[in-house]
Amino acid sequence: MARYGMALDYKNCINCKACEVACKEENGVEMGAEKHRIWVGANDVKGEWPLLDIASAAFLPSQCQHCEEAPCQEVCPTNATYYDENGVVRVNTDQCILCSYCMVACPYDARFVDDRTMTVDKCNFCSDTRLARGETTTACQNTCPTKVRTFGDLDDPESEISELLRTREHFSLKAHLGTKPKLYYLT
Amino acid sequence: MAETVEKTEETGIIAKAKEFVVTIPYNKIGMKELLDFEKTPRNKLVAVITLALLALFVVGLALFFMHGHHAYNVTKEHPWGLLLAVYIFFVVSSTGLCIIGSLGDVFGFKDYMLISKRAIFGSIVTILAGFAVIAVEIGHPITMLIYNVLTPGLTSAIWWMGTLYGIYLTFMIIEFVFLLKGDMRKAKIFGLTGLLVGLAAHSNLGSVFGFLNARPIANGVFYPTYFILTAFITGIFIAYIIMGFRYNLDFPEKVKTMLTGLAKIQALLLSILIFFIIWKMFTDIYGGMPNRSEVAIHILGSWTFWAEVILAMLIPLYLILKDMGKSPVVLFWASLSGMVGIFFMRYNLVHDSQLKPLQMMKTTEYQLTPEWVHYFPSGTEMMISLGGLGLCIAMYYAGTKFFNLDEDEHH
Repeated sequence: MARYGMALDYKNCINCKACEVACKEENGVEMGAEKHRIWVGANDVKGEWPLLDIASAAFLPSQCQHCEEAPCQEVCPTNATYYDENGVVRVNTDQCILCSYCMVACPYDARFVDDRTMTVDKCNFCSDTRLARGETTTACQNTCPTKVRTFGDLDDPESEISELLRTREHFSLKAHLGTKPKLYYLT
Repeated sequence: MAETVEKTEETGIIAKAKEFVVTIPYNKIGMKELLDFEKTPRNKLVAVITLALLALFVVGLALFFMHGHHAYNVTKEHPWGLLLAVYIFFVVSSTGLCIIGSLGDVFGFKDYMLISKRAIFGSIVTILAGFAVIAVEIGHPITMLIYNVLTPGLTSAIWWMGTLYGIYLTFMIIEFVFLLKGDMRKAKIFGLTGLLVGLAAHSNLGSVFGFLNARPIANGVFYPTYFILTAFITGIFIAYIIMGFRYNLDFPEKVKTMLTGLAKIQALLLSILIFFIIWKMFTDIYGGMPNRSEVAIHILGSWTFWAEVILAMLIPLYLILKDMGKSPVVLFWASLSGMVGIFFMRYNLVHDSQLKPLQMMKTTEYQLTPEWVHYFPSGTEMMISLGGLGLCIAMYYAGTKFFNLDEDEHH
């Protein structure tokens, strides 16, 4: 029993997209740009030469926020979306009816349809793959060349993520919606 | 001994149920009589249109079974499309007709008794057409039936909406049977229960959108209440249409009195609706709240919004107010305009809720920064939607043949 979360030192992101590739490879995610469990968001550089606003060209790696009050779970009519024992928000494909309500309700646009099973798919912190094999890191974290991601147990005071959250300022995306995301962006 | 008594009791219940079913009055007609209708140009046109719509339904279904959801233009950013809008269109129609049907047999307004049976039957066929459309919109309808019961999501508005609509349909059918049998007391009991369940189901449908915290344009109390209001309005539009066809636009005095009464109610309801819409737009835009005000301004610039306003609100209201609803023939045509507007109302509700992308950064190289989510229904979606209308007309036509939908003489 753990309470898994992830801290992202997002300013280190160089948009190499190795995390996206590793995620697809590890979890057998469908090919195609629309089919992604994780992604790196990019902003165009604002302003005109030579007064370019370099700070605006930020990269924001993201994925399912594994909210503690997940709207996608609340709206699911068959409880196909559920919290597992580690607080990871997951989808039981046998129960998913593809009503797509979770896709409309998720504030983070973190869900997509897997055309092979015709059910909704999303990040599950590699629960079916790496964690099931006893590993302690996710594929995206493991492959990141600039160590953007730190995955771990938020309830363990000794964990690296707990240490990071104690010592670094951080924010969550769309926190005003009360979803209590477990992805923390380090500033 | 006890076993024998139990068995006899059981047989007794089955025999009673059997007797109840076989005594439901209906016209014993064959295929020939079913397809026989007065060959007026109007009837022929409606028949051709209905057959064409049914043919489209078959083609649409064939395309769906060949290509699955790929036959639809729904995307990750716009997962709900035309079929959901059409489902809402039908279930709103059903709730509306249930309200109209209840005016007479539940609430005892004598003038409206003459439409009760017809409206309740209409509420059944419209919801069945809605279910037919949603069955091919939902990815796994059979799984839905199983897990809706085994692992119910009690915090889900869709669960409540679907379950309550299922119960509502049952009550509507029972009410209709009692109406056919002329048992007005039981019809009233089941009618009232069905109406209450229907209203609960319908406001839950509104809350499917109202509960979307992520989408400020839809979030809030507006839709759950507005759905009831627009259901009543839709019910009156359909009442005009079905009575127009029933009497070939040559209304007897009693029907005219009822329709004038409905027109007056409609004028009030449309005025309230316009009032609601104006204030929703003002509150959406005022203060420039992100993700809400710019969406509302975008909606004001879309032609589908104005189609909704002009066809469903302004034209019918103007024509009613012109002579306080005394021209039922004019209002029959206004109601057709109204129903086209109501279709746009449902389409807009679904589309506008998904207009604003939730992910505002580029996720793919060479992609433009997302601004608005675009959607246009595919041919398959249109064919299935139009087919739903065909199903609805065909079922209603069959109902007029099998059952006496007019008010019984002894009432």
